[in-house]
Amino acid sequence: MINKSRTPLSVLGKFRKRMGKSLHHGDRVWQVLTISMGICVLLLILSIGWTLWQGSVDARLKFGLSFLLPTLDASWNPVLDKFQAWPFIYGTLITSAMAILLALPISLGIGIFLAELCPGWLRLPLGWMLELLAAIPSVVFGLWGIFVFLPAVVEPVGSVLGHTLGSLPILGSLFAGSIPVSGASRLAASMILTIMIVPTISAVTRDVFLAIPHSQREAAFALGATEWETISQVLVPYGLSGILGAVILGLGRALGETMAVTMVIGNSIEGTLSLLRPGYTMSSVIANEFAEAVSPLHSQSLIEIGLLLFVITLLLNLLARFLVWRVARRAPQQEVRG
Amino acid sequence: MSKKMILAIASLSVVGLMLSACGSATQSATETVAPAGSATNTGPATAVAQTATNTPLALGSVKINGAGATFPLPVYSAWTYAYKYVDPSVVINYQGIGSGGGKKAIIDGTVDFAGSDSLVTDAEYASGKDLQMYPMVAGAVAPVYNIKWAKDFPTGTPVPVLVLDRQTLVDIYNAKVTKWNDPELVTTNPGLKDYLPAATITAVHRSDGSGTTEIFTKSLTSFSADWTAGGATAVEWPVDKAGNGIGGKGNQGVAAAVINTPNSIGYVELAYAISNTMSYASMVNKAGNTVVANSSSLTSAMGDFANGFTDKLTATIVDAPGAGSWPIAGYTYLVLHTQSMTDCVKAEKILEFIRWALTDPAAGQQASNLGYSVLPAAVRDSVLAKLGAVTCKGNLVLK
Repeated sequence: MINKSRTPLSVLGKFRKRMGKSLHHGDRVWQVLTISMGICVLLLILSIGWTLWQGSVDARLKFGLSFLLPTLDASWNPVLDKFQAWPFIYGTLITSAMAILLALPISLGIGIFLAELCPGWLRLPLGWMLELLAAIPSVVFGLWGIFVFLPAVVEPVGSVLGHTLGSLPILGSLFAGSIPVSGASRLAASMILTIMIVPTISAVTRDVFLAIPHSQREAAFALGATEWETISQVLVPYGLSGILGAVILGLGRALGETMAVTMVIGNSIEGTLSLLRPGYTMSSVIANEFAEAVSPLHSQSLIEIGLLLFVITLLLNLLARFLVWRVARRAPQQEVRG
Repeated sequence: MSKKMILAIASLSVVGLMLSACGSATQSATETVAPAGSATNTGPATAVAQTATNTPLALGSVKINGAGATFPLPVYSAWTYAYKYVDPSVVINYQGIGSGGGKKAIIDGTVDFAGSDSLVTDAEYASGKDLQMYPMVAGAVAPVYNIKWAKDFPTGTPVPVLVLDRQTLVDIYNAKVTKWNDPELVTTNPGLKDYLPAATITAVHRSDGSGTTEIFTKSLTSFSADWTAGGATAVEWPVDKAGNGIGGKGNQGVAAAVINTPNSIGYVELAYAISNTMSYASMVNKAGNTVVANSSSLTSAMGDFANGFTDKLTATIVDAPGAGSWPIAGYTYLVLHTQSMTDCVKAEKILEFIRWALTDPAAGQQASNLGYSVLPAAVRDSVLAKLGAVTCKGNLVLK
């Protein structure tokens, strides 16, 4: 009985020995699987880039660098087949930059409050609410923007900004002219984007603060630091790389956001730099015009804008990674280890 | 070293597997859009004669796929739904992906028919070989406005409808007329003289490429030589450059912008203006008469150009000369291959559907209810004659 039952076991054992440790717990299979998934990501990015590059070949050859020329009277004329992308590039960059500028202090405040100062009973419901805000579809933000936010908030704020900052020497060009009565403007897009990226940035910021070891706070308190000093001089520098990461996430959403922006920005190629005037973004023009882009040059130019957006997003991400890396190298926890 | 080699080979093969999986996924997706007719292709041309008389086809066995313009999407949806009761063997699926996309799809052969508001260009005829356009219905575009009147109208009297001259509409979108109390507007609206405000006109246009914009801008081109931006699905709006233009996405976007912006003007499909109870302006047409956008003024415009059809059955009906004709209107077309369809059963079913849509009174009623106008008899007859000439594998499809 015992002998008989040993035989199959020993065969299995021999098989295992022959295959070495590689099949042990499926480690090697797992490794291969995950590595190929990683390669898949790389292939996807490369193939997207390649498709965009190939799809815009005629437009790139015809327009060359004039496509990117930063000029105020750029033309986007499907009738005459003359295309320049500057108004869209400017629109995307200025609205995203403004959104980050507005969202950063708000999100930092929310994150710090939730992680450090919030009473326990409020923390959970507030956190839920924040995540709920992040889950609202962008088209809902757009609709709400058109009917409520633009007339009630953006238009009054825009008029005040126009009257106060509009006359300043350099900054004034950003606030020149008067905001349309409907409120549709670059400012409206920036503010809607702000609302959309605040939940993302603050949720990540909160998690960053929660992940900071308690010993850091205790050490600061032990040295006689107040709560404010602990947060501003110990916790924020400690979590800086994480906060920067949160900003990257927010920036990514702001750059690519299409629907909500399309609904509130006014979709007009206007020759000003002003935030108070209607504008256009790269993703909006693609979404708006691609379906009915009849002439080949028109659709190719739209694809070239897609390529630009792809490149800009990649570059900004690389820059942000670089910043995170710089900051992480200087961060206190790394100094201890190094 | 060898371990790494094994690793690399294994990972490559997994990636290959995944890629091939992706490939088959896209293939099946295109099959659902355009079945190659494997189930329906029961036999050669003889099947055409048989199906009409005997051997009824199985329920829903002929799947017809179309794609294209969004302008006629409501009426096509209504028709395809109703047609299930006329011929239960046919399932028609129409996707509103835009005129440009529809024309590309019919040239590539991924759909059985395309819908388009814009005309097929010479280059597209060349690459699509035997393409033919068939007008199906006509639609009107109406200027909608939202004016904050300078003073209240006396109670009890209805607010008069704004009247626009053709030149005035061009001047507004050229940003030449920028105030509502401009003398040009006062001339055509003497009754509104004291009510038109001294406010800036915000001109709203479609931000997405659209057949509606093409009809509107072609009308402006015909109205006045001052309009130099051209007529197309998307143009460079002079009013944008002047800083008084706003683009809205879709009919809804334009309507929302006009409703939310006091002292604005925009243009939407007539059906849309009616269903949203928006104020839409009357126009002084080419004959100098003030006309209201409705089905009779639209029919009048079609009648004016009934003899103006090209060999490809295309005609522009903008700026019609008739006394009661609405000046901003256009046809929407179906696009078919006339000789190279390979599935003759399907070809017959498509043509039968088109014939039903053009001739059946109930189908016509559905179109009118949705704000479109059916073709006048003369136009319809020439469309039916062209339909009769369609061949499949050398034989006439319609008997």
